[in-house]
Amino acid sequence: MDEMEGRLVRCFSSVFSDLTTEQIHAASVESLPAWDSLAAVTLVAVLQQEFGLQINLIDLPELVSFEAIQNYIRKRNIVS
Amino acid sequence: MNLIEALEILKQVGPEDVPPLRAYLACGFTPLHLQTFLAAHLRERLPQQRVELKTGLFGDLAGNVERLQGSRCDILAVVIEWQDLDPRLGIRNLGGWRTTDLTDIVKSAKQAVARLEQALRRVSASIPTYVCMPTLPLPPLFTTSTQQAGGCELQLRQLVASLATSISNESSIRVLNAQRLDEFSPPQARLDVQSELMAGFPYKLPHTATIAELLAALIQNPVPKKGLITDLDDTLWAGILGEVGTEGISWHLDRHTHLHGLYQQFLGSLASAGVLIAVASKNDRALVEQAFERKDLIISKENVYPVEVHWARKSESAQRILKTWNIGPEAVVFIDDSPMEVAEVKAAFPEMECVVFPKNDYPAMWDLLKRLRDLFGKDVISEEDSIRLKSIRGASALRESWDVAGGSLDDFLQSADALVRVTFGKQAGDGRAFELINKTNQFNVNGKRLSDAAWMAYLSDPATFLMTVSYEDKYGPLGKISVLLGRVQGKVLRVDSWVMSCRAFSRRIEYQCLKQLFEKFDAEEICFDYQATSRNGPLQEFFTGLFGTPSTTDLRFSRAAFCEKSPSLFHRVEEVVNG
Repeated sequence: MDEMEGRLVRCFSSVFSDLTTEQIHAASVESLPAWDSLAAVTLVAVLQQEFGLQINLIDLPELVSFEAIQNYIRKRNIVS
Repeated sequence: MNLIEALEILKQVGPEDVPPLRAYLACGFTPLHLQTFLAAHLRERLPQQRVELKTGLFGDLAGNVERLQGSRCDILAVVIEWQDLDPRLGIRNLGGWRTTDLTDIVKSAKQAVARLEQALRRVSASIPTYVCMPTLPLPPLFTTSTQQAGGCELQLRQLVASLATSISNESSIRVLNAQRLDEFSPPQARLDVQSELMAGFPYKLPHTATIAELLAALIQNPVPKKGLITDLDDTLWAGILGEVGTEGISWHLDRHTHLHGLYQQFLGSLASAGVLIAVASKNDRALVEQAFERKDLIISKENVYPVEVHWARKSESAQRILKTWNIGPEAVVFIDDSPMEVAEVKAAFPEMECVVFPKNDYPAMWDLLKRLRDLFGKDVISEEDSIRLKSIRGASALRESWDVAGGSLDDFLQSADALVRVTFGKQAGDGRAFELINKTNQFNVNGKRLSDAAWMAYLSDPATFLMTVSYEDKYGPLGKISVLLGRVQGKVLRVDSWVMSCRAFSRRIEYQCLKQLFEKFDAEEICFDYQATSRNGPLQEFFTGLFGTPSTTDLRFSRAAFCEKSPSLFHRVEEVVNG
């Protein structure tokens, strides 16, 4: 797990406190009932603070899993 | 605190074996991160309590407050925004910003304010309430350019200001200070348009965190300090008295020493609010007395007591001042321009707040005045605040007169012409009684403190009683000096809380309190929720003197035993019905 991935896990862990690291890696809107609209907005706010980036809430439908969010952040070259 | 830290705090399990603090956050928007930050800040400030924070329905602020009446809630935080006064003052509603709409917006805002004010007044009668007035910018719906304040906009701002002024007069409502909020959260960096439109949450995160932090501080106010010890040379005034003489010292604009005048004015303000002010100065006593005769001194010499002037260590002065005031070092601030003197006093009294006076540093002086206001800030100024110094001077006079007269304590107390006034009215708004319970250490039956909510809940219980005692004698009034909370259980009285100000010691008022209790309720026995603490030695001595070393599990005594042990009491007693 690289540094960026570790920080992302921490973000997920702060919002979904009951998940193990393994479960976080597999987390998605479909698999996680706690991932509702409020949790999604909280997660985005946490990501913005942790990575110092602006996430447009219009992109929310894209951000539906741990993997998708990881790719989203990498794609923007925010974190190498 | 950032959002991740707040969420981490909330993940920690709070204490399970204590009743929860049931807090309610009322707002018209989705509470989202505000709920998170507020819960986290309350957790941090109240580590011994389990905080439960509930919220209400979206878009119905007044309704959320109204529905709380009679509910099991300990504290209420209300965060008002413009759209709560009329949805058209927000940006999620498209009800119209036409010129013809503006008058109607003001009209409906007036109605909303009236409804909210009524709801707040009602709910605050039983729940301590903390209110944050609108913090967001008004949207650009007015016809004037944004640099010009138009009539409708000014009317809306006046409505909100009137509401804040009006509710702030309620003893159980505290309003968040907008100026303080402005210092930490710039107005232009508050509104998050995207979040408001997409999630119904209007605040940017830093603004959210600031509101939550200040609200939590408003809810959990620190206990105000009681006394301030100040140096003289280059502190209360500019110049070294021994070098420049009484006419050479200054605190004036034309001498560029106005900061010292401001400081004097501030101390005068503190003194008028009941804060004790004393002097600790290495100086020539005769010169200091001359200096205090100057007519242009901003602080009156009557407000300063005691004045310790000699060449011994400052910590010795501080020790004597604490003894005269009969308060602990943790309740006192020491100010001196010499870092060495400050360090010496700090070493002797680590609990004392010791501050270097920032001479010639204008911004630092401004910060000091604000810091002092925070350290000494209190909700209301009571009658006791206005007589505190007088009663301390009276106590000194009493001690001196006893020393001079000699003779027995009985003779002395008999000649004191003492009047004890006893009140049995349960007034939740009795700030002095609440304050005494929460700041008295030495004569305190168990050291337990009460939150606003616990105080109001206790008094609303029909089985409980509140007894307050005021005292005066020929040496001056002491004001309200004792508070007793308890329950009547047939012929037995259960005392849950009993405190007495240290200023009232040595007058047998504590015996009179118990005598009055027995008589008022025709009780045969009193049992106490007693607990020895590291600081209630005087209370322990009192009980020991009456019945031997008190038991920590079940402390009780009968009327007959009390009457047998009680010394002669010479007070005249008056009962005030219903306070």
